[in-house]
This record gives sequence, C-alpha cells and structure tokens, in this order.
Amino acid sequence: MSNTLLAMEQITKVFPGVRANDGVSFDLQAGEIHALVGENGAGKTTLMKILYGLQKPDSGTIYLRDRATSIRNPRDAIAQGIGMVHQHFMLVPPFSVLENIVLGEETQTTGVLRMEQPIEKIEQIMNQNGLPVDLKLPVDELPVGLQQRVEILKILYRGAEILVFDEPTAVLTPREVEELFKTFRMMKQQGKGIIFISHKLDEVLNIADRITVIRRGKVIQTLPREDATKAKIAELMVGKPVLLEVKKQAVEPGATILEVRNLRHRGERGHEVLEGTSLTVRAGEIYGIAGVEGNGQSELVQAITEPLKLEGGDILLQGQSILSWDVRTRRDAGIGHIPEDRQRFGLLLPFSLADNLTLGRHHRPPFVKGSQWIDSAKVREYARQTIEAFDIRTPSETTPAHALSGGNQQKAIVAREMSFEPILLVASQPTRGVDIGAQEFIYSQLLEARQNAKAVLLVSADLDEILSLSDRIGVMFKGRIIQELNRAEATREKIGLSMTGGEQSETL
Amino acid sequence: MDLSILVDFLFKGLEISAPIAFAALGAVFSERSGVVNIALEGFMAVTAFTIVWGSIAFQSIWMGLLVAIVSGMIMSLINAVATITYRVDQIVSGVAINIMAIGIGRFLSQNIFNQETQSQLNPYLFPTVFGINSFAFALIPITAICWFVLYKTRFGLRLRAVGENPEAADTLGINVHLMRYAGVTLSGVMCGLAAGVLYPAKWVNGMTGGRGFIALAAMIFGRWHPVGAVLAALLFGYADTFRIMFETKIPIPSQFVQMLPYVLAILVLIGMMGKAKPPAADGIPYEPGE
Amino acid sequence: MKRFRIDKYRLMELLAPVLGFLASVVVLLIIAGIVGESPGNAIRAILRFTVSNASRLASVFSVAIPLFISGLAVAIAFRAGVFNIGVEGQYIIGGLVGALAGIYLHLPKAIHLPVVVLAAMAGGALWASIPAILKITKGIHEVISTIMFNNIALALVNYLVNGPLSGRGEQSLEPQTRKILSTALFGKLNHWFQAIGLNVPNHVYLDYSLIVAIIMGILVYILLFRMRFGFEIRSVGTSIDVSRYAGIRVKSVQLGVFLISGAVAGLIGTQEIFAIRGHYTFEIASGLGFDGIAIALIGRNSPIGVVFSAILFAFLKQAGYGLQLYTSVPNAIIYMITGLMIIFIVIINEIVTRYIRALRKKEAA
Repeated sequence: MSNTLLAMEQITKVFPGVRANDGVSFDLQAGEIHALVGENGAGKTTLMKILYGLQKPDSGTIYLRDRATSIRNPRDAIAQGIGMVHQHFMLVPPFSVLENIVLGEETQTTGVLRMEQPIEKIEQIMNQNGLPVDLKLPVDELPVGLQQRVEILKILYRGAEILVFDEPTAVLTPREVEELFKTFRMMKQQGKGIIFISHKLDEVLNIADRITVIRRGKVIQTLPREDATKAKIAELMVGKPVLLEVKKQAVEPGATILEVRNLRHRGERGHEVLEGTSLTVRAGEIYGIAGVEGNGQSELVQAITEPLKLEGGDILLQGQSILSWDVRTRRDAGIGHIPEDRQRFGLLLPFSLADNLTLGRHHRPPFVKGSQWIDSAKVREYARQTIEAFDIRTPSETTPAHALSGGNQQKAIVAREMSFEPILLVASQPTRGVDIGAQEFIYSQLLEARQNAKAVLLVSADLDEILSLSDRIGVMFKGRIIQELNRAEATREKIGLSMTGGEQSETL
Repeated sequence: MDLSILVDFLFKGLEISAPIAFAALGAVFSERSGVVNIALEGFMAVTAFTIVWGSIAFQSIWMGLLVAIVSGMIMSLINAVATITYRVDQIVSGVAINIMAIGIGRFLSQNIFNQETQSQLNPYLFPTVFGINSFAFALIPITAICWFVLYKTRFGLRLRAVGENPEAADTLGINVHLMRYAGVTLSGVMCGLAAGVLYPAKWVNGMTGGRGFIALAAMIFGRWHPVGAVLAALLFGYADTFRIMFETKIPIPSQFVQMLPYVLAILVLIGMMGKAKPPAADGIPYEPGE
Repeated sequence: MKRFRIDKYRLMELLAPVLGFLASVVVLLIIAGIVGESPGNAIRAILRFTVSNASRLASVFSVAIPLFISGLAVAIAFRAGVFNIGVEGQYIIGGLVGALAGIYLHLPKAIHLPVVVLAAMAGGALWASIPAILKITKGIHEVISTIMFNNIALALVNYLVNGPLSGRGEQSLEPQTRKILSTALFGKLNHWFQAIGLNVPNHVYLDYSLIVAIIMGILVYILLFRMRFGFEIRSVGTSIDVSRYAGIRVKSVQLGVFLISGAVAGLIGTQEIFAIRGHYTFEIASGLGFDGIAIALIGRNSPIGVVFSAILFAFLKQAGYGLQLYTSVPNAIIYMITGLMIIFIVIINEIVTRYIRALRKKEAA
C-alpha cells in the first residue's frame, strides 16, 4: 500500500469570469506536512472547499488512498477521514470542551448521554498528539489557541487522517504558534497528513516538508523544503508583472494630510491585530498599502474611517486627532471612503441610485433645505449630473441600486465619494469584482484625485494595482508597516518578499 | 400564624403556580432551540378548552388531558411550520396564533355547549388531594424529567446546540429544523399539561389571563433553565396566592403583585439581578447553506 | 423592457395578501358549512352587514380608524427595524394621560382638543421611552422588554383606575375615571357627511379621531419620504452597516423612531375614550396593539398599505358581527379566520419571495 493519502488530479473549477482552479494537481503523503501558498484569489480556498465537499469540481479526480472518490458534502468529507480547521471556529460557546467534541457523534444508551467512553478516547488522542485541554471548561473561557485545539480534537475524534488548516496562525500568539507546530509534528508521527495554508513564509519554512505555490488558479511549482528559500517562493507567488500601462503625471506632493501614529488594536478574539502601525500620506500623493489580506489592513481602514477601540496610538487629519470623532464628523471633515465590500457597506441596494449618490451627504445643503426637508429636485439634478460625468450605465437615476452591474455600482460609489470633494480618500479594494472598463475608469479617477492635491490611501491585495498607481508603497505584515518604498525603488520581488514576512533587515 | 393556614397556603400556591410552571418549561424548550414563542397564551387558551371538551366527550379526565396535549401540539405545529419551514417572523406568527386562539375556544363552546363564554361543568376531574387538584403534584417529577432530558440526553445536547450556534450544529450533521420542531412542539405539549392543572372543571372565556406571558417572564427570570424557570413560576404563583389569601391584611395594592413577574424579568434583563443571556441564536431563523 | 420586469415582481408581491385573504374566506365558508350554514347565506350575511348601505360602510371605516393608527405606529418603527410590540401598553398609558388632560385641565375647546391629543402622544412616547433606552444603552431586545411593559401597563392602569383616579359613583359601578370635560370631547362629523349626501346615521362614529388619523397618516408619510430623518429611518431599516458607514447616527434614529411610534400608539384609544365613552376605563378595547402588528405587516409598513390593511381588518371584524346576526355562525369565528389569514399571507409571502429569488437567479445566469 502506498503512502499517498490524497491525490487531487487536474482539478478545474470555473466561476463566471474566473478560473479559480485550472488543472490543479496536488498530493499529500502520510506523515507529511504540505504547505499550500499563494496570494489572495490564487485558488487555495477553492481547492480546499472542493476537498471538503463545499464545492464540486468541474473536472478532475480526487483519490483517497489511491481510490477514486467523490466528496458530496462536509459530512461526507469527515466520514472519509478529511478534517478541516477553519479560520472561524465552529464551536458552541457555552458548552464544555467535551460537549463540543462529541456533539453530533455522541455515545448514548437509549438517548442518555454516556461520556466515559468518549473521555477515554479523547484522552488517548490528546496524549498521542500533544493536545492537552481541560475537558470540563466552557469553550468561551478558553484562549484562542486552546479553542483551536478543541477544533483539532473534534476532527481527530472523528478519525481524520487528513487535516487541513486554513491560516491557523492568524489569531495565535507566537507561543501558541509554537505549541501548534509541536502538535503538527506529533500528528506527523502518527502518520497523519497535514495541509497547511499560509502566506507567512517563516512559518512555512519552519514546519513544511513540501511547499506548493499556486497563482491565478494554477500550480506553479511544488518544491521540497530543502530546495526552498523565501526569496524563491515569493518570486513564484507574485510572478511576472502584468502589463497595465497607466499614465502618471509627475505631481509635487504637498502638506501631510493623514498621519497614523503607532496604532495598537486588539481584535475580538483578544489577539493583536494592529501592532504599532504608522504611516503618513501627503496631499497629491497615492500611498498604496500592499500585503496579503488579514494582516490588519481592514482594521486600519476601519480605524481611520470610524471610531474603533484602540489600545494605543493616534490618527491625525491635518494635524488634528480624529480618534474621538464619529463617522459623520469625519466625513464632514473631508474623509471619503470607498469600502471594500460595496454591497454590505457602500450601497442601500433597494434605494434609487439618486438616493445612494447622496448618501453620506444627504443631511447637508443643497440636498436638504434647513436641515430636515429633502430637496428632491436638487437630489435628482445632482444625480443626473454625476451619472453623466462619471459615465455610470443605468436606465435612469431612479433605478434601484441592486439593478446595476457590479462595475457600475462601484463607479457610483467612487463617483459619490469623489464628488463630495474629500481631502483624504481611503480606497479599499476599489476594483474587486469589477470589469476591465470600470477598472480603468476608477484608476483614472484616483489619479485625478491625486492631481487635485488630494491625499489617497489605497489598500489593495492586487499587487499590480498598487504598483500601477502608488507614489509610495507600504507593506503591511502582522499589523505593522514593515517596509516603505518609493515607487521608483519598488520591485515585485522586494514587495512580494516583504508581504510574506520579509528579511528582518529591511524593517522600518 | 395558624399552622393549618400555612399548610393551606403551601398547597394552594402550588396549584396556582403549576400552570405557569408547565408553560414556562415549554417556553424553555422552545427558546433553547432558538425559537421565540409568544404564542404560549394562545396555546393555553386552546388547551384550557379542549381538556374540558375531551373529558366530557370521553368521560375521563385522562382522555381530556390527552386531547389537551394533542391540541397543544397541533397549535404549536402551526407555529413551527410557519416560523421554521417558511421562516415567517416568529413574533408575527405568535400574534396570529394568539388571535386565532381567542376565537377557537369561543367558537367551539358555542357549537358544542351552546354558550359562547363558558362551557358546561366537567365532572371528570383529577382526584383532590390536600384540597387541591392532585395533578399539580405532577409538576415535580415532570420538572425533573425536563431537566434530565435537556442536560443528560443526546437530544437535549443537540437541542441546546441548535439554539446557540445552529451553523456549527449543522456542520456536525445535526438537523437544525428537526430540532427546532421538537422544541416548539414540546412547548405545545407542556401547555397541554398546564391545562390539566389550570381549571379542568369548566372553561370560561379568557381564563388564561395572561399566564402565557407570565410564563415568559418566569423563563427569563429563571435564566432559561428548566429548574430556574419553575422556581420563578413558583415565586410568582406564591406571590399571587399570598395576595389572594391575605389581600385585606397587606397594604400593597393587588395590581402591584400582578406586575411583579414582569418587573423582575426586566431587572434580570438589565443585569441588575445577575446577567441573563438568552440562547445566542434565539429568534433568528436558520437558513441552511446560505 | 426592464420596466416591465419590475412590474411583474411588484405584482407578485401583491399576490400574498390577496391569495391569503381568499384562502381564509374559503376556510370561513367551509367552517360555516360544517355549522350548517350554506356558503351563499354566509356571504350574503357578511355583505349585508358590511357594504349594503352607506351606514354599514361607514361603520367599517369607523372601526378601521383605531386599527389604522395602530398599524401606523407599528409600521413606522418596523421601517427602522425596530420591533415595537409594546404598542398595546403604549396606547393604554397614552389614552390614560390624554384622558387625564381632558378631565383635570380647564381650557377652551379650541385649545383643549389639541392638548389632549398631544397629551396622549406624550403618554405613549413616555411608555415607549424605557424599552427604547434599554435597547440603545444595554442592547436589550425590544420584543421582550416591550411585552413585559405591556403587562406592567395593564396592571398599573388597573390600579390607578380602581384607586386614585377613580370616578366611580358618578356614573356606574364599572371602574373608570371621572368624566372627561365637554371641552375635550371629540365631536362627530356625521353632519358633514350628510351634507355631502352620504347618509351616515348618528350612531356610527365618524368623529374627530378620523381627522386625527388622517393627519397622523399624512405626517408619517411626510416624515418617511420628505424629511431627512425619515430617509435615515428607512436607511437604518434597510442596512445598519451601510447607515453607519454613511455617518448616520444609528442609535439616535432607533431611539427617535421608537418614541415616535409610541407617540402615535398613544392615539389608538382616542376614538373610544373621547368620542364613544367620555371617560377612561381599563376595559377599553384591548388587542388593538397586537392587531396593529399584523396590520402593519400586511400593509408592508407603508402608510398607504396600512390604510388598506386596516380597512381589511375592520371589514373582517364587521363580517363577524354580520354572521352572528344573520346566520347561526358565531362571531368568534372571525378571530380564527383573522389569525389564519395572517398566517396564510405570511407563508404565501415567503413562497413568492423564494420564487422571485429563483427567477432573478435564473435571469442573471
């Protein structure tokens, strides 16, 4: 019998407009830790969803222990020995560790719970894999690292041979990461196979036996640990530049508009999300934040655009601290925001386009007369002007926002934020899910803002976008800007390396 | 104080508390599975009638009780289908059932007993023990059973899981909808039992008198725990008994005693009397796979 | 082409109330049949009591007035996503406060009338304020807190009317307050209707509360669709996330709409207190608050929808009396039918919504 636990061959999965997985082949041996590495949108998540039964491949085969098989749903996956530890835990907070582990798989006689057998079995698993946890404690009282342990115990209890970990160290402290890796090594010895998804190359090089790099839906290369260096992997991850010629005129940057000083923020799970983030943006420049998602970019944007509980640091707009200001005050002061999830945050979908275009400024003249009366004539007029100026494709200004295409919805948001004439524009993933035409248009708008002496903070997981537009680039990793470069000195390789942890010598 | 009066008070209080306590147990099952149930009042209005009807029709109080339980289940199933399968808002469904229930008793009474506001006298009753309806004593073993089921059986574990984190339960292979149906149906069954001890001798229009809502207050005050809810119901019931028996002797107006359950529940919610956390998924319809 | 499509969906949305109503009528006829009454008789009885002449029709509208106000109160809160189930308690308290203003204040008629209306609104808003504050400061869900406050209101008013505020002995043995001064009583509008040729007899109550209802309806409409605060109400009801992003102060909006809802709810009892009875008693019709929840839902939370929905409910109530009067079907059946109708409507609504969603998905693909 071979040692191959899992083989995925020529897996292809196509969604409208994008080939998430394009002929991906991947295998996992018993007693191996195999890391899966790639940027956001590269296709790792889709591949794992297929493995876990949450998606069906369009073509390709999955072999478990050399037998072709199909995985219909997550319960099927568990039954076949595949266990997944998600980023967001699936635990019942008030239940004890023991209850969480046995839920759905309980031992009982005529309906009455019997816990002696499970306890014995779990203790054995805990010993074999180095996962001690107090079974009686309620799960919501455990630190994140131990909660993760409960998730691992859950899948081991159900007999998982193949364990998939999706960015498991994102919420862990360094010590908890060490503990986790100890566990990995012990599970290795038990003959289990581990798939480890991460973009933190330090960790990957620490623990993995083999590393597979995925980019744009294809496997670029699978290397054994001995052949891998950070630089090499980073290069494979970011690849060759995509030619997107954007004409940029030289603009002399002006006064400092935004200053972020040493922000510290703890997330809801208690872990450090922002660990001393600092940056400045001047009028007439685009500052691009590069980095893999999940390194604190969203929280940074949140801290700038709305009141966020901070453990330390300050944010200054034209020299004034804005920490105590609510959203309306920040907007009135000139902060514009293109949100990263337009449907969830940016638009009232059932409302008309005209209403959406005034959203955020709807409380001020000329849209209201005397602070309460809506001047619908002015609203419509402004809407019509804006639609024309920004070339938003819509039957009329009264069309509900949900009827517009994704690209036009995003254009509407950009149009709105631009026409309120902000002094600082925060753009978060501004061209996500947007067609090429709208994308070019949005780029030109951002450049025009820069031209008009606005300060633009651009956050994007798309490295090409950052490189095309930015004057200065900051790489965000683990809640800090660890590297700052001028556009002239920035290369894909340098940035790619920093995005994944970088060389310590190049930190700020 | 006269010993016989004290004994009288103890037993009478149990009898008065019991319907609320049964209903509160039902509420606990329903809400623990994640379904807010404001239709308890309506369920009880129906079962209070059907127990009289059933007893007379089958000439036995036990058959009457069975009919009451079945009718409670039917009413609760209507609520369950609407709110679980069709994801109708749980409040609206509860309101609709309460409205329906007002009419059911009166309509059936008119047709069967030819009087709209009250029924015939039902001579088939539970034996009287210590001066009260002996079915009240069933409260104690039934509370114990409910506690056991909720905390010591697989069914109870899964039911509670569904009320806290239905998504997690779903990924572990538990049928969320089925569990919720069970929770809601049990509340209907409990309201059937409540009818057994309310006043099976005769149905009068409006006899439930808001007990369904007091049961909700008891559930909250008891922090969604079966024993806690029953103790809370006993507290409210005994307070009311005290008022009835000693009304002329105490300076507090009776209506303030009536307010007591609700005020206490509010205080619990505010956190003044200890933190109360309802089941996390309470009131939110579950959409599998969305 | 696109305009046509939108109408198709809108039409399907109207399907639910219509089908629900028809389904419940079918059930009504079936039950009537079981009791031994032919469907034809039943329908004739209903129509005879509700629409056969101006007087009957006017009665339907008269009954619809408090139902409309109730639905309006609930609807405006729903628009911001606030579930004000406490309408029941708010109208009891509001009615009491209004009645007190009518009993103990001595003012000329032209002033007294608006004052009692405002007093009733203040009472309702006051009773809504505690659950409202609990919601925005402690995050306590308003459904539970308002249900508790409903029952507290009942007990409180029971105490007050039996005790300190009792006017017993003046009128009858029924617990009630003293009589409301004539300067605060709602006069009738029947002579206006008669003047324009609609023969509405004097025992049908089309009184000043009709004016109050119409004014409230118009004010709510203006608030929701012409005022900035109303825009923010609708925004918060659509998406709290987007509203927050746009700088809207969500908690202020929720508090404000809760208070407005309570204020409108305070007016529900004005017809009964100021026009029909002339005093306040806790026997005033209860259940109107809960009816309002159903009425608002069926009227899709819009002032215009609530008008039709309230008339529908009033029609049903009167239909019940008609059946009782002219057939052997008891009035109580209407409660069953109303409750059933609500359930039918919301279930059909869900089915239609799922169907529309599936259609839209197919079109997008």
